[in-house]
Amino acid sequence: MPTLLETQRAMRASLLDGEDGAVAAMLAEHLGADRLNIYRNTFITGVTKALRLTYPAIHRLVGADFFEGAAGLFIAQHPPRAAYLDHYGAEFPEFLRDFEPAAALPYLADVARLEWAVSRAIHAADTAPLDLSRLAALSPQDRGRVCFVPHPSVALLYADYPVDAIWRGVLDADDAALAGVDLDAGAVRLLVERRDTGVNVSGVDVSRLDEAACCFAAALCDGWSVEEALAAAAGIPADALLAEHLAAGRFFDFRLAPPEPTPSPAAAPEVWP
Amino acid sequence: MSPDLVAHPGPIPAQAGIGLRFQHHQVVLDSRPDVAWMEVHTENYMGGGAPLRYLDAIRRDCPMSLHGVGLSLGSAEGLDPAHLERIRGVAERIEPGLMSEHIAWSVVDGTYLADLLPLPMTEESLAVVCRHVDQVQSHMKRRILVENPSTYLRFRHSTIPEWEFMAAVAERTGCGILCDVNNIYVSAHNHGWDAAAYLAGLPPAAIGEIHLAGHSVRPLPDGGTVRIDDHGSRVIGEVWALYREALARFGPVPTLIEWDTDVPTLDVLLGEADHARALLATAEREVRSADAA
Repeated sequence: MPTLLETQRAMRASLLDGEDGAVAAMLAEHLGADRLNIYRNTFITGVTKALRLTYPAIHRLVGADFFEGAAGLFIAQHPPRAAYLDHYGAEFPEFLRDFEPAAALPYLADVARLEWAVSRAIHAADTAPLDLSRLAALSPQDRGRVCFVPHPSVALLYADYPVDAIWRGVLDADDAALAGVDLDAGAVRLLVERRDTGVNVSGVDVSRLDEAACCFAAALCDGWSVEEALAAAAGIPADALLAEHLAAGRFFDFRLAPPEPTPSPAAAPEVWP
Repeated sequence: MSPDLVAHPGPIPAQAGIGLRFQHHQVVLDSRPDVAWMEVHTENYMGGGAPLRYLDAIRRDCPMSLHGVGLSLGSAEGLDPAHLERIRGVAERIEPGLMSEHIAWSVVDGTYLADLLPLPMTEESLAVVCRHVDQVQSHMKRRILVENPSTYLRFRHSTIPEWEFMAAVAERTGCGILCDVNNIYVSAHNHGWDAAAYLAGLPPAAIGEIHLAGHSVRPLPDGGTVRIDDHGSRVIGEVWALYREALARFGPVPTLIEWDTDVPTLDVLLGEADHARALLATAEREVRSADAA
């Protein structure tokens, strides 16, 4: 008699790899491919739908048939690892980057990276805003040692193409805006964040930053101390930028760096994801 | 009555409720429909942002039940502790009147197969499910309900009738049973079981909730049909009839209308709930007249 684990592995081989033999031998009567297909369809349809909800602009850019085909291959390579499908599909942008049939759309993977950041922002945990009086209570010296913790929805993204304009144009079905997109306009640096302003107002904002403002934001989000980040941001109105980040609620906590100044990291802060 | 009880309408009444889906968040918030309670899928509220805000607001004056679809009580490899913790997080925030999961599995070798897959009905499966129900109940510090599945396959090595399996889980773990009447009807058709005998095999005292939903019928190449539990239409007459039998056997039980594909307008769901409400009222009268006699 097959064990439970053997039964479940046989079912997995059927649903994921289309290998029905092992599980078919375990089934009562002559129930076969037809009934296994019901489960396979539910699995593929459900996970494809989850992917489509996370990547709606990709879905529109490539069309339903292409999307379903790509999703099927992607799911076989990267089946879900947790029963929380809102967080499924992290590897889809890289999958698209290497996906030969999509080679005609060189910006596709970058649009997908933006959609992943947007999705993460939509589903990010709620956090209480930073109590600014905690900062005000610090001595001027300690304020320099503040290392902020970014709100879980905040992400910074570098892309070779104007993916924010493409993303917005596609989701708004704005053909005029899309026609105006210049693919050779150069790289963009984007700030993605969720703003919760009411019970039913919870929108994700995507805004552009210039290179210096992006580096400053990345330094703060990476946990550099305010002092280090300000020192690295010479020549830009960093104090005003910091005030804006705080007012927008982009940080929800902070810790203090050790009193002895640590050597500044040599490498520029990483822009992610 | 303590202020806490006023602030959190907790217990789920033995009345008709509806499954709350994203499509209806705004209209429910705006119109505050006359429905005794609601239920949501736990997995849809594991992040922050808009969904939780709606749920917080709606839950303020409507008892709420949490129905999980991803814990995989029947996995041979054990429960995912991260998922258990996510469920606990939602429960802490929502303070549900009832919590439930399925007699099914969906995870093997760390892969989530995104469906409620059938278990072989064996002593090994029973032991695995009971161990996991114990684990969930001690983690959540509360009793849960487990739902009978709808299935399209049966395993050759199954040795326990499904209704006996359900009863045994309830008896060994002290959990309750969420009796999905549509699932009984669907599985009975698909496997040639007697739906009334299935109901008769369940312990009435353990029944904590009933689910009702629509299903579809698909032809098979051999000329037969298979019934698919797709929650995409009204409850059919035969399932309402089976529901009346269930109420006669179990007495009035909190009853939920589920609808997950081709979700209709809220009015349609409320109409289905009204039908259940009428049958529940009849069952209530019968209990009272039996008590009086």
